[in-house]
Amino acid sequence: MSSINLSPIKEMELRASRIPGVVSLAQGVPSFDTPDAIKNAAIEAIEKGKVAKYSLAPGTLEFRETIAQHLERENKFFDFETEIIATAGSIEAITATLLAILGPGDEVLIPDPTYTSYQAAIKVARGVPVFVPLSEEKHWALDIQEFEKLITPRTKAFLFCNPNNPTGTMFKRNQLHALAQLAIKHNLYILSDEVYKDFIFNGEGKLYSLAELRGIRDRLVYIFSFSKAYAMTGWRIAYLATHQDLAKKILAVHDALVTCAPVVSQFAAQAALEMADEDVETFKNYFQKRRDLTCKRLDKMNHVFEYQKPDSAYFVFPRIKREIIQKIAPGGGSWQFAIELLEKAKVATVPGSAFGPRGENHIRMCFGRSEKDINLAFDRLEKFFGKNFS
Amino acid sequence: MKSIFKKIVQFHLKLLTKITLWRHRPFIIAVAGSTNKTTTKDYILKFLREKYGEKEVRGNPKSYNTEIGLPLAILYLDSGESSALRWLKILVQAKMRALFGRKFPKKLVLELGVEEKGDMKPLLEMVRPNAVIVTNIEGSYTYANSSLDNVFGELKLLVQQLPKDGYLFLNCDDGRVKELKNFTKAKVTTFGFSEEAEARAENLRTDAQGQTFDFIFQEKQESVRIKKYGRTNIYAWMAAKVVKSFL
Repeated sequence: MSSINLSPIKEMELRASRIPGVVSLAQGVPSFDTPDAIKNAAIEAIEKGKVAKYSLAPGTLEFRETIAQHLERENKFFDFETEIIATAGSIEAITATLLAILGPGDEVLIPDPTYTSYQAAIKVARGVPVFVPLSEEKHWALDIQEFEKLITPRTKAFLFCNPNNPTGTMFKRNQLHALAQLAIKHNLYILSDEVYKDFIFNGEGKLYSLAELRGIRDRLVYIFSFSKAYAMTGWRIAYLATHQDLAKKILAVHDALVTCAPVVSQFAAQAALEMADEDVETFKNYFQKRRDLTCKRLDKMNHVFEYQKPDSAYFVFPRIKREIIQKIAPGGGSWQFAIELLEKAKVATVPGSAFGPRGENHIRMCFGRSEKDINLAFDRLEKFFGKNFS
Repeated sequence: MKSIFKKIVQFHLKLLTKITLWRHRPFIIAVAGSTNKTTTKDYILKFLREKYGEKEVRGNPKSYNTEIGLPLAILYLDSGESSALRWLKILVQAKMRALFGRKFPKKLVLELGVEEKGDMKPLLEMVRPNAVIVTNIEGSYTYANSSLDNVFGELKLLVQQLPKDGYLFLNCDDGRVKELKNFTKAKVTTFGFSEEAEARAENLRTDAQGQTFDFIFQEKQESVRIKKYGRTNIYAWMAAKVVKSFL
């Protein structure tokens, strides 16, 4: 197995934690606490003695039934008894799926740039990550022709998140349909991680999901995490939904890895689906305001950055202008640039190279943080770049 | 403090619910069991509304089915969640509806949520169903679970109270549920995949568009397609179809 290092996002957070007074726009954690209705449901489940023992491996029946009902409202149809598995976070869902479908040396296509931990998950499953470049000038769109060229006899799956992390952009319906056709043609699985689906801004409407396309349900694994939508990163709870034949294989791996998802978190997440719609809407509105604030502040620094405006999630992925990166981090790329920002401006970001080769010369900024933190971070950045370029 | 407030709200909601039901005397169809209650209720609502019209049949919104949820379902009110002020407003609305409300549906389809010993009694103090559907008795844990016997005991209380001219619809593929037929005076009809079911599904097939099966009941056979996946949806469909044929 090729070596796996600590995710650069966590690496930056660790470095940031050692420097007093740093403002972090690095880790993608919402600034909110879990909504009260969810916490109360967890407390009630604890007090009633429902959480001390293992649940069934795929999760409690009630939780899975609630998930299926919720999915139905989004035009996604799965059998809660055989096709839905509650997992310990989405990364467990992804890893368990990859372990179930990959043989040693099998290739998994991932967008470039994309979430850093996908590479590690593929390597854990003895697979080989293969980057499919996204086109920045086309709002980080997928180049389907390029995608097909990268398919080899060893290619087993395409793993992506939609909306995409770190770009905050969405893959549109026509791209997804083209992707589905290729998956059928080349017999590939598609793993669709839709953790940010609830944060779509400016009337872009609801995210279109391949899980709505019945013709590929035997090769699609739909993944959703409660971490971001319901401010539950610490609860480690997510689920996957897929055709029962594949679900059976994934369940065996899931059972071997974690036995079952944390039962207290299953009760909490069930309550989230039943009672927290308004909270999700509130979070979305906050993130949209913060996105607007972040873009406004970035616009004022157009001598340093240029960027595609994110229309979803809570990330922006600005490109660092050539002359700036050469001056701040000569030869060191986005990693050195991010270290300089951390150590000299006391602002933590994630170097773009962590997300794939196309991420080089970019940094990821998370606007999940409070407006106060965002303003403070940009005040520091303006001061830092003002000092270095006046 | 919170629990005293909760008890006061529960007491008043219960009282107002009883007044409402006493005034309007609807035909009550209760759906009980561990899971599949909401889907079964939804199919029953769909079929009965086709037969009697939209306004004459009402079900629990948002699966309100507990001691505090059931009155909200009957009075057709939203939950106050954790806001005391919202609960006070709900009590005022509940009073208006209970005492002065004129329009009320002729049939109510209500989920009854029962998990533990003692859960059924407060529900039966509010409602006396005329028809009961029991979906299943299943557990969510990997160990031998005495709580399933407790749920059985609670459902026994439900079927025992059914009147002689009432109806009991049982999923006969579930061993515990099947046993409930021995504890009622009401007319019993069973549904399921097994040979002994009076209303039976056969030849189940799954494809990209959903599921198809043959439904056999009262010496008639029909081919059915539903767009949802999983046997639970077929049980729910069958239960609703049987309910429609009797009511």
